[in-house]
Amino acid sequence: MLSGITIFCFAASYAVALLLEASRLAFRSGVRGALLLGFGGAGLLAHTLYLGHRAMQAGTAPLSSEYDWYLVAAWVLAVVYLYLTLQHPRTAVGLFTLPLVLGLIGCARFADQVPFPRTRASQIWGMIHGGILLLGTVAVLVGFVAGVMHLAQSYRLKHKVRPSQGLQLPSLELLERANSLAIRISAVMLLIGFLSGVVLNIVNHGQSEDEHVPWTDPVIWSSGLLLVWLVAAAVFSLAYKPARQGRKVAYLTVASFLFLVLALGVRLLSTTRHAADGKRGQVTGDRLQGAFCRLAPVNCNLSPSWPGGRA
Amino acid sequence: MTLQLVGCSHRYSSVATRERLAFSPAQAEAALDGLRQRFPQSEAVLLSTCNRVEVYSAAEDPERVPTHQDVAEFLAAFHGLDALDIFDDLFERTGEDAVRHLFTVAASLDSMVVGEPQIVAQVKQAYDLALAHRSTGPMTNQVFQAALRVGKRVASETSINEKRVSVASLAVADFAKRIFERFDDKHVLAIGAGETCEEALRYLHDEGARDVTVVNRNFERAMALAEHWRGRALPWERLGEALAAADLVVSATGAAEPIVTLADFRRIEPARFQRDLFILDLAIPRDFDSAIGNAKNVYLYTIDDLEAACERNRKDRERELPAAMRIVEQETTRFMAELRHHATGPIIRRLRQGWEKSKDDELRRLFNRLPDLSDRQRDEIRQSFDSLINTLLHLPLKSLRDAATHGGTLHALREAVMKLFHLKD
Repeated sequence: MLSGITIFCFAASYAVALLLEASRLAFRSGVRGALLLGFGGAGLLAHTLYLGHRAMQAGTAPLSSEYDWYLVAAWVLAVVYLYLTLQHPRTAVGLFTLPLVLGLIGCARFADQVPFPRTRASQIWGMIHGGILLLGTVAVLVGFVAGVMHLAQSYRLKHKVRPSQGLQLPSLELLERANSLAIRISAVMLLIGFLSGVVLNIVNHGQSEDEHVPWTDPVIWSSGLLLVWLVAAAVFSLAYKPARQGRKVAYLTVASFLFLVLALGVRLLSTTRHAADGKRGQVTGDRLQGAFCRLAPVNCNLSPSWPGGRA
Repeated sequence: MTLQLVGCSHRYSSVATRERLAFSPAQAEAALDGLRQRFPQSEAVLLSTCNRVEVYSAAEDPERVPTHQDVAEFLAAFHGLDALDIFDDLFERTGEDAVRHLFTVAASLDSMVVGEPQIVAQVKQAYDLALAHRSTGPMTNQVFQAALRVGKRVASETSINEKRVSVASLAVADFAKRIFERFDDKHVLAIGAGETCEEALRYLHDEGARDVTVVNRNFERAMALAEHWRGRALPWERLGEALAAADLVVSATGAAEPIVTLADFRRIEPARFQRDLFILDLAIPRDFDSAIGNAKNVYLYTIDDLEAACERNRKDRERELPAAMRIVEQETTRFMAELRHHATGPIIRRLRQGWEKSKDDELRRLFNRLPDLSDRQRDEIRQSFDSLINTLLHLPLKSLRDAATHGGTLHALREAVMKLFHLKD
């Protein structure tokens, strides 16, 4: 029965929840809260079952493909969304969080489903590397949501806009705290994740040349760039008091998100050996083409002319 | 079952009358005990707020419900007044009108400031007190529980009680609470020591603000206000220092020129480290240079900004009023229908039971006379009898049910059915 659950099931549930969140802007409803929780909860349940099913179907390392990584990140963010909705039922948190959840699910659609084949040692380091980076990514996304909400709330207060029923947002103080926390957590997570990645690469280098990722790999330098930015932002906000206050901290989290998008974009689009199947060689832009093929199988072939495609 | 209310409210009575008839919580307890002793067959709930004093009573027998005169005498005796002096200040509602009135009150549609949110809690407190003193009964339990539901429904389905209409409450609820999550760790600075500052401090105190500093040209008045709010007073010369430490500022002085210019603010700005600052400038002319509102993380609100918001809120509330009244009307109709169904239910049940018994007796007699009937024939006869009873009962029961749904002749019909079929209440 579980195999009947598809990515579409929970994506559709989250999409309906997002539409319900958007309807706050248009009209009041006494039942919307229950419907939101219903669709959000149903989506999360289907999402959980889907991931559980994939984990059980996998071999030694469950949920170890890039595809799973995005889906688990989306799952964690969906949990954060439901928690915030329960804690602050009248605020429009979902309006900012659910697009990111759907975005991650969308990224999964384009990501590679082949698990990383690893030896025992690299498997452990791989899990640490992937898991910590996943939490760091979610922290950046949560910080981004808090940052955008902070900027919106701050703008409305500066312009003396009355609170609207449809777009109620948390207080600036709460959002400021969330922003600061998100920056620190994401910097620490990214640092640990990056270092564990370095160890993983060294372990792989000693065991198999196929699994070794060159230090000039686009994914490594784009992740390094994100890490440098996050650490700099965290140090800046710790050392410079005004950077912990008001809109500055919100700008930092929004900028962090842009660096994250850059890193994830490079990972999806560039020619990289990162997270590649050792036997297969490089992971290239053909995964995008593959995803498009899944979406529109007609007139689709793996062409050598595809950017970075394998000939 | 009869429900009645006798009382006074801001609509029909002067403040002086309401003040004379008002009950403190302790007095309300004594009054409920007094009502029970004086009218032991009647249920009673006493609702006393600054805008109304209302005595709700109910009894199975309408004769047992205290009359307008009875309630006037009780209230007068309790407060040591002459009943004649207050008789005309009291209004009366009975039955459906009393239900509608209570629902309107609980939904805050009969309040002096329509939509003010405290009334639901006050209705609940009044009901809880009556419950604790065992002066409620089936009718008052039903109607007060329904009233609390109506209050919640109106609050959730309309925005009538979400819009503040007083400047200070709006400033705190609609703006300060969007900046600060909590107030107990915030530094509040009051500039001026008049009533305006005091009112704003009251709202902030209600939200949890405890650290209050008062700065005023007249230091003695600053001391008096600070003492009242358990804060501290600072001399006028230390205004800059107080401003640098403040998170929320309420300013309402009578100064003819701004007391804080942009240059003054720029001087203290570095010491604030761009911390959020909410300035509520309630003075006319303004105490703060309007350019300060452009500084980073400063949210400056003047009385004009807030008055305009209050006016818009008043209009919003007026727009919500018809929708809220529709809910009250729907709920009243539903409540009355349920009440009537409740009243006719036992009669219908007893009527049917009586006919069923007659049918069973007759069948038993018939089957004794005709012992050779087969089981199939007996079943056929039973079904015929059932069908006959259903046909005969259909129209009278339908009339009762229709009357229960639509009201009107229910009471007369109910009495007639009881008499015709010798049913006891």
